[in-house]
Amino acid sequence: MQIQQKFNPINLLVYAVLLVMLLFTLMPIVFMVTASMMTKNQILRMPFNWIPESFNSINFKRAIVGLDGNYIYLRNILNSLVVSITVAITTVLLGSLTGYGLAKFRFRGRNLIFIMIMATMMIPFEAIMIPLYMVVMKLKIQNTYVGLILPFLVSAFGIFQMRQYLSTFPTEFLDAARVDGKSELGIYWQIVLPNAKPVMATLSILAFRSQWDNLLWPLLVSQSEKMKTIPQYITGFAAERNTDEGAMMAAALIASIPMFLLFMSLTKYFIGGSAVYESRKG
Amino acid sequence: MGTKRYKGIEKKQARWGFAFVVPALIFFSVFNFYPILNAFYTSFYDRRALSRLKPKFVGLDNYIRLFDPARAASQLSFYNSLKATLTFTLGTFIPLLVISLMLAIFISNLNSNKAKRFLQISYYTPAILSSVIAATIWMLIFDPRGLGNQWMNILLNTPGVDHKWKTDPTMLQISTMLVYFWKYIGYFVILFITGLATIPPTIYEAATIDGAHKGQVFWRITLPLLKPTVVLVSIMAMLQCLKTFSTQYMFYTNGSTRAPINVITFNIYITGIQDQYLGRASAMSVVLFVLMLVLTLFQFRTTKSGENVDY
Repeated sequence: MQIQQKFNPINLLVYAVLLVMLLFTLMPIVFMVTASMMTKNQILRMPFNWIPESFNSINFKRAIVGLDGNYIYLRNILNSLVVSITVAITTVLLGSLTGYGLAKFRFRGRNLIFIMIMATMMIPFEAIMIPLYMVVMKLKIQNTYVGLILPFLVSAFGIFQMRQYLSTFPTEFLDAARVDGKSELGIYWQIVLPNAKPVMATLSILAFRSQWDNLLWPLLVSQSEKMKTIPQYITGFAAERNTDEGAMMAAALIASIPMFLLFMSLTKYFIGGSAVYESRKG
Repeated sequence: MGTKRYKGIEKKQARWGFAFVVPALIFFSVFNFYPILNAFYTSFYDRRALSRLKPKFVGLDNYIRLFDPARAASQLSFYNSLKATLTFTLGTFIPLLVISLMLAIFISNLNSNKAKRFLQISYYTPAILSSVIAATIWMLIFDPRGLGNQWMNILLNTPGVDHKWKTDPTMLQISTMLVYFWKYIGYFVILFITGLATIPPTIYEAATIDGAHKGQVFWRITLPLLKPTVVLVSIMAMLQCLKTFSTQYMFYTNGSTRAPINVITFNIYITGIQDQYLGRASAMSVVLFVLMLVLTLFQFRTTKSGENVDY
């Protein structure tokens, strides 16, 4: 039943609120793009001119060449990519393997193990970073990829999602494959994994984003310029006594482009990823 | 032979299942259970990083120090951190909750599906930027000559006034809240829209036929049916806010004073990593853990009772 909506002032107010919020959420992003092409004086001019007079590539050059002229940003971008991609892959692989084991096999202690893994969701990373830092110092893996990646190999949330998804997978398919003489690992690799693609996409994006965004852990383990990640590099720009606003915005824009591209091509999984949290209720 | 062979297969199966979960079990033992136990253990010791001295057992001294009333007046005390975290959490999650719920209802009531989708995606866009980038953008907006002052002065009709976004203690707190609000508003709008979609439209139709007006529909139908989502979202938002770090760190490196934004995680970082007091930082970690544990258990309890809602 469609209720005919008459024009009334309340609707007008609703549209006004939605429009104001639209401006509030998008203007800072437009500002980042515009400011990345401007000189310092133009960025901090009153009133601000939203259309840059000319495209000024000098900021991008300075963002990439860096303050010491050693092109360290490229290395930092590579580091962020290596860490984020590795964590996305291990989260999906280990998550699906564990989730599959918990969903489709009966063994002693299965429920206890599941509860234990779920319990780790109650341990916030911020509360264990100091002991983890001590572990890293002891293993002497500070300033290495291993040190950056190790604490994030798999998440309890990922295992939970995989288990929920795979428990609806028909067991007959698995049994049929066993009768055909397929090995257990073969079944996991050739039957289970290809059937878990939607969860895999959501989880890998979630994992990738969380590492792309991570500042705290790299601050603890990466002190050498070469092993820093993007968030650390951008922090360095803001910390300079004479902050280079234009280059800082250019560096920020460069770092955001991969996320924008991912978001535009995989919107469903981004937004689905946030809706997935809803199902934690279950 | 039948049952024996069946038993054998079952045993083999059990072994495979166990083998599949063992890697994760080892991982969580080493990188979750051991560290949290270690945090408890270390919190009873006076332990410094890079020190040759053996850690000294000090009992509850680290905790007593954290909550020492004599220290409470100090600007950078843990007591002050608790206050800063609480201020930030309440000041962020309440506006987030109220405004995202309002926006979600507005969007859900739009007729055009295209407009619905467009607004959801637009509101969500800030969430794809990393926290550090969100903070850098807003730091420029909050510059004395920046857009923040220009907008505020147009809104309040106060030309030429500097609102001291990054220097006044209260304004600094508000600024960090605003950054967080901006980044997460779209995320919570989407959570609420998902929640609203689970309420069957027939209920609304029945209410409209019975002559209920919009205010009644909201307070009597939408809100009670949405309660499980509201509780879940608010606790999630609180847990998120309690862990805030990047925004505060960025404002601090950019030259803002530390005290008003010295949230717990930031204090742990400074105490443990910069000042190398691992014992003290561990005690803070334990307090943070307990705080969040209480909230999480509360979440489990409330969402469990929420499941029994029948339409």
